Amino acid sequence: MSAPSKRQTVLVYLLLAVVLIVFLTPIYLIASSSVKPSPIMFQKPPAFLFTPTLEHYESLFGMRPFAKFMLNSLVVSFGSTAFSLTFGTLAAYAISRIRHKRMNDVAFWILSMRMFPPIAVVVPYYIIFKTVGLLDTPLALIIVYSTANIPLTVWLMKGFFDEVPMALEEAAAVDGYGLFETFWRITLPLAAPGLAVSAVFCFVFSWNEFLFALMLTGSEAQTVTVAVMSFWSSDAVQWGRIMAGSFIILIPGVIFVLTCQRWLVRGLTMGSVK
Amino acid sequence: MAYIRKRNKKIFGIFLVPAMLVLFLTTIYPMLYAGYLSFRSYDLAKPFVPRVFVGWSNYREILTSSEFLHTLIVTAKLMAMTLSVQLVLGVGIALLVTQKLPGMGVARTLLLVPMMISPVIVGLVWLFLYFPELGYLNYFLSFLGVGAIPWITSTNWALWAIAIADIWQWTPFVMMGTAAAVQSLSPEPYEAAMIDGNSRWDVFTRVTLPQLKPVLVSLMFLRAIDAFKIYDIIFVLTKGGPGDTTEVLSLFIYRQSFTFWRMGVGAAASFVSLVIIVVLITLFFKSLNRDDYA
Amino acid sequence: MSAITLSNVTKRYGAVQVVHGVDLEIDKGEFVVLLGPSGCGKTTTLRMVAGLEDVTGGKLSIGGQVVNDVAPKDRGVAMVFQNYALYPHMTVRQNMEFALRPLKLGADEVERRINETAEILGLSELLARKPAQLSGGQRQRVAMGRAMVRTPDVFLFDEPLSNLDAKLRTQVRWEIGKLHQRLGTTVLYVTHDQVEAMTLADKIVIMRDGYVEQVGTPEEVYSNPKTSFVATFIGSPSMNMIDARITDGRIEADGFSHPVPTRFAGRVTEGQDVTIGIRPISIELAHADDERALPATVEVTEFLGNEALLDLRVGTHELVAEIPAEQRVPSGTKTHIRLNFDLAHFFDAGTGRSLNAE
Repeated sequence: MSAPSKRQTVLVYLLLAVVLIVFLTPIYLIASSSVKPSPIMFQKPPAFLFTPTLEHYESLFGMRPFAKFMLNSLVVSFGSTAFSLTFGTLAAYAISRIRHKRMNDVAFWILSMRMFPPIAVVVPYYIIFKTVGLLDTPLALIIVYSTANIPLTVWLMKGFFDEVPMALEEAAAVDGYGLFETFWRITLPLAAPGLAVSAVFCFVFSWNEFLFALMLTGSEAQTVTVAVMSFWSSDAVQWGRIMAGSFIILIPGVIFVLTCQRWLVRGLTMGSVK
Repeated sequence: MAYIRKRNKKIFGIFLVPAMLVLFLTTIYPMLYAGYLSFRSYDLAKPFVPRVFVGWSNYREILTSSEFLHTLIVTAKLMAMTLSVQLVLGVGIALLVTQKLPGMGVARTLLLVPMMISPVIVGLVWLFLYFPELGYLNYFLSFLGVGAIPWITSTNWALWAIAIADIWQWTPFVMMGTAAAVQSLSPEPYEAAMIDGNSRWDVFTRVTLPQLKPVLVSLMFLRAIDAFKIYDIIFVLTKGGPGDTTEVLSLFIYRQSFTFWRMGVGAAASFVSLVIIVVLITLFFKSLNRDDYA
Repeated sequence: MSAITLSNVTKRYGAVQVVHGVDLEIDKGEFVVLLGPSGCGKTTTLRMVAGLEDVTGGKLSIGGQVVNDVAPKDRGVAMVFQNYALYPHMTVRQNMEFALRPLKLGADEVERRINETAEILGLSELLARKPAQLSGGQRQRVAMGRAMVRTPDVFLFDEPLSNLDAKLRTQVRWEIGKLHQRLGTTVLYVTHDQVEAMTLADKIVIMRDGYVEQVGTPEEVYSNPKTSFVATFIGSPSMNMIDARITDGRIEADGFSHPVPTRFAGRVTEGQDVTIGIRPISIELAHADDERALPATVEVTEFLGNEALLDLRVGTHELVAEIPAEQRVPSGTKTHIRLNFDLAHFFDAGTGRSLNAE
């Protein structure tokens, strides 16, 4: 497109400033409120300059279970990431490499698994996990999150595998390597950035999830999202702690955006944008 | 057997089948199980009532209850509200941040942040903003001459309160998809239009928009699929209230299953939602009009 | 014993048959080139030999053993790919090491082979580099090196020069020839470039639409093409083809007539449609009073240095003549030419088979 004129440039930046203020204010509020002393939490006009306090973080971690809930979140997120990466990567390789007309349907089917409403399967999950004694365990969440993370990994990794030329694998085959060795020594190392991107995607999704965590865990396997929400539902409104917890929860997502935004489009738009 | 055929079978069996099995066990099986439950009386609050086959009675119950139909209407309303605003705002902001000016890349990145925040946190921060008496939103709005709005306590505003939080979180998604599409457009038609002396509005409506249309349609289907599943933000902000003004389908299922413990009825509602989502997913894949997924 | 034998080898993808019953014997140490236009099945044939495509029908043997169902890694072949297929995450040395690892050699032997190969190919200075840091010609050499270190029984080349610029192509072609002389390994080499085939091959296999048209030495396929396809494919500029019919013991073409040369007597029948093939070099300028001279218009004259090409219009025919440069005439000249029927080829117009004596 043509370069805008000077007046248009000013207009563009003005509009952009408004947009940025609107979209970033809530994030700023989380960060600032998490270190704002309680008495001035709702002070108007809002205090921009104040002596930050760590009291909310201290009280957050002072409550013993919160550390445990953090650990739960980490275990569930890493667990589901590892699980999904293993199965998703293998499946993605097959979909990328097998030339067969039915393969498209398989890819379709796997991808659609990611789009189903969690609420629609939470009832059967609840009953199944109750029956096998997995209710309120991290394993239950690891399994459930993988239903969304495996399709996502398949979708992302397939793109990365497609970039690895078939000829490299053929060269390895002629050089004396079998299927697995070729995959392990040639294809996978070359698709390594995909593994990193997929891992971050899976981790953030698991870390942020709320609905399943709410319904399938109790006091034992509770994750941070549910824990932070529970501060609100108890008697007093503990905004300082809520904001401190929220800030901790939003860190992985922010890091994700800053490091992997190149792949966000592919990961989230499912092929809408080529 | 010939080697390559053997190899492909091996790839299929060892690489693909495990993931398909896992997905079958963790997704298809629960869905089928939901189907099974939906034909049973399964009341966890009454453990001594036998869990018997009840035919279509769970479906009959929800499909004839005004409550269930109300949740469908609320869900549809919320979808219409969020999707329309996200489309207009998202495309507008995308056009803004694809201008060839310094700083646009940074702005694009910053704008993506809301998307990656846990929906619970989105709910909580907007609760903080909407909070009766104390929240900052009405304070900010007072500078624009807007009087105090009872965001989450009024039946007139509660749905908008939810929509605004969702719009805040997901407009960046539409922006991101549109911006990526805009950047992949060929510059030639623009150069031609410039030489021909067309106005900017003309160029936008006659050149840009038609080229973006397929992408926008797909993005909107994805948003519709997501909006249909909305749960967390409502759970935090209104829990369906006041009254039942913001009671969407997900909340209905939750309430039936985990408040009244009527799993059979919850499963029937789940199955109805599955049918609707299958339609949306199919439309989405159709909208892509591509067959190179594999 | 043959190094490679193909007997009635076919390849089919679903309903599409891309290779039709290929029979081929490749002797040990022989340099055989599969030559043909794109889509002729030459690469598929090579890939079947490598084991990268399954053989649909027939029998494929390497070193006397049927290898139809043998994995590529167990065939004792090494291959140089069109795009080189160097492992981008490995250095030149690592690329060669990786190719050697399955042979389970001692560290000393690995070292010796890599250094020796690098020496031969002039890669010694480049061993620590990754493929991305190499020029096209260097990558090509690494690809050959990676194949050479394994000291395979058979080298397979898949259009190895197609990604090089013209000058480099000539040089690497020469190097490949030298290498073959030195190593004496059996080579199966695919190309669509007849110059590569003519200069390198002991034996050329010309393919078209999945069929083998002719197998022979470069000399044979040039001087004695068995089909009109081979005749036009080999030689540059292409052989001129003129439609004609045998009438009353004469070859009647549009605009001229000529008695059937004696060497074709008995090979043609009355009324047969034939194609006359005349190489540009067999057309010469003639005097108007020469009884066999044909009036011709020079449409374009191309000066090539030693010789010149004339695009001629002779009646309804468009012919190309290659003449000594000093005899050339300017474009637009009306002149006379003579076709040297002693050097002409005759093909049956229907089957395309040559009517020349064996």
